[in-house]
Amino acid sequence: MPRRILVVDDESHILHVLSVKLRNSGFCVDTAVDGEDALHQIAAMAPDLVITDLQMPYINGVELCQQLAEDPATADIPVIILTARGYALGDEASGLSNVRQVVSKPFSPRTVLEQVHRVLGTAGNSTELAA
Amino acid sequence: MQTVIRSILGGIALCSVALGVGFGTLWLAHAIDLGTSPWYAVTGILATVMGLIVFSAVTIGRAFESLRKDLEEGGPGHIVSGPRWLRPVLRTLSEYQLRHRQAESAWRTRQQDLEIRAHVAESGRLQAQAVLDVMDEVVIVCSPLLEVVSVNAAAARLIGRDIESITGQSVNDVVEDLSLRRIITSTLEAGVGGEPRRAEVSIQSHGDECSYEVVCACACDHRDRVSALVTVLRDLTREREISQMKSEFVSKASHELRTPLSSMRAYVEMLVDGEAQDEETRQEFYGIIQAETDRLARLVDNMLNISRIEAGIFEVERDMVDVQQLVERAVQTIEPQARSRGQALHTEIAPIGAIVEGDADMLQQVVLNLLSNAVKYTPEGGRITVSVDSDTLTRSVHVAVSDTGLGISPRDAEQVFEKFYRVENYKRVAKGTGLGLNLCRHIIERVHRGQIGLESTLGMGSRFWFSIPMSNEAARVAA
Repeated sequence: MPRRILVVDDESHILHVLSVKLRNSGFCVDTAVDGEDALHQIAAMAPDLVITDLQMPYINGVELCQQLAEDPATADIPVIILTARGYALGDEASGLSNVRQVVSKPFSPRTVLEQVHRVLGTAGNSTELAA
Repeated sequence: MQTVIRSILGGIALCSVALGVGFGTLWLAHAIDLGTSPWYAVTGILATVMGLIVFSAVTIGRAFESLRKDLEEGGPGHIVSGPRWLRPVLRTLSEYQLRHRQAESAWRTRQQDLEIRAHVAESGRLQAQAVLDVMDEVVIVCSPLLEVVSVNAAAARLIGRDIESITGQSVNDVVEDLSLRRIITSTLEAGVGGEPRRAEVSIQSHGDECSYEVVCACACDHRDRVSALVTVLRDLTREREISQMKSEFVSKASHELRTPLSSMRAYVEMLVDGEAQDEETRQEFYGIIQAETDRLARLVDNMLNISRIEAGIFEVERDMVDVQQLVERAVQTIEPQARSRGQALHTEIAPIGAIVEGDADMLQQVVLNLLSNAVKYTPEGGRITVSVDSDTLTRSVHVAVSDTGLGISPRDAEQVFEKFYRVENYKRVAKGTGLGLNLCRHIIERVHRGQIGLESTLGMGSRFWFSIPMSNEAARVAA
């Protein structure tokens, strides 16, 4: 059973490129265009991992992580944050137990894939994952 | 002695003459049978004395006149006129008079000198005060006894009193802030040899807490003793605001630059890694990279243009611009995009000579930006109208771009012309740099001294407009 990943970003190109990369590696990928949309989808399908942008309309990346951490049903879902801020996350993200990695934009899809494998504890072989 | 004898003999001679005239008069009165009253003799004597007095007055007058001439010609040492016996006296008197005049003249010169010095000193003081008053920094000068000697206008504003009422007061009565008072007293205690004290203090000013950098130093006199304490406070609030604005700008600019760069890098890497498995996918990736490169270039261009306009170094090519033609060209450019989205693009151009003096390329860019936004944020099948009109009263040309699009809330409308401001809810409707409208505002308001604005109703559409002054020729024709 392939692992399920939800990618959240308000930039359609980012959603597209990460979806292609992760699908090519054997993951099942869903996308959401903002934090609100993401919360609905997470409630419906309980992904194994969430990759989210930080700056988004309605509910931003930090608020999304906070809401996931506060809900026992979603508190265990690990999160990778993508940020275009260009500096380390400040106090706002510290203390969020579900944030496992922070990747700075512009990012390399290869690096994101490596981080995904690391967080999920999977080997970097897509065929094994898909099996 | 000779002079005295001569004077006595002269006096006796004059008395004899007077007596002779008196007796002569008495004899004459007797001879013509007028009687022998002694009053005849007295009358004769008095007449003689009067005559002598008149004669003496005339003689003395002439003597003084010639004396004056002598003094004018050669001073007291040159007195050669007048009675000889009187000349030494006159010389002495003249010398005293001359000395008195010289002393008076020297005193007047000294007085004038002191007055000039006083004027120069006062003018220097006023200049120094004027220099202090134009300074943004707060300056407080006090004596070693901690009495305020002088303050500038900034200090008076901070303290909340006028300069006159502060001067002469104790520092403790004027400066409420304890930490600032401590800095002043510790500087005084350290004396002349001590280094100037530097510290940062927070002071309540007109209800706001402001941060100040304080420098306090002793001034010394010619004996190397403390003659005054100079305290200068520099307001750090504005500096920090600018620093924060700069930091926010860099953060926003960095974010906006990284976003297209992220897509470009990711898609290039995907192509390099062979993740695009068919030609169609590869073409799609190439297209995205190209579009994001254009977006990045546009963003950098906008940033540079705004920065140049703000710095006043943008090269403006002013010419007579026909706004009607300019709008028609912009409409032709944008029409294919509108058509592809099924939008109706209309123009309402009033038959007026809408000539303005400006930069045609920049104005074209404004109209294109407004039209492009209207196309992007108006749903398919919507209607976009561009109008050109003039106002003879304000002698200006008005251009408006109206659409039946999504509209903008009043809260967003206030900020939509700010740098990097994008309406959050519309970010996914269309891509933008967040600088287009800011650039429009700079071009209209800064370069063309016009006005730009927005009227919008959420869900009903928007009307972006700008107005710029007509050229003088066009204004005359329109009038």
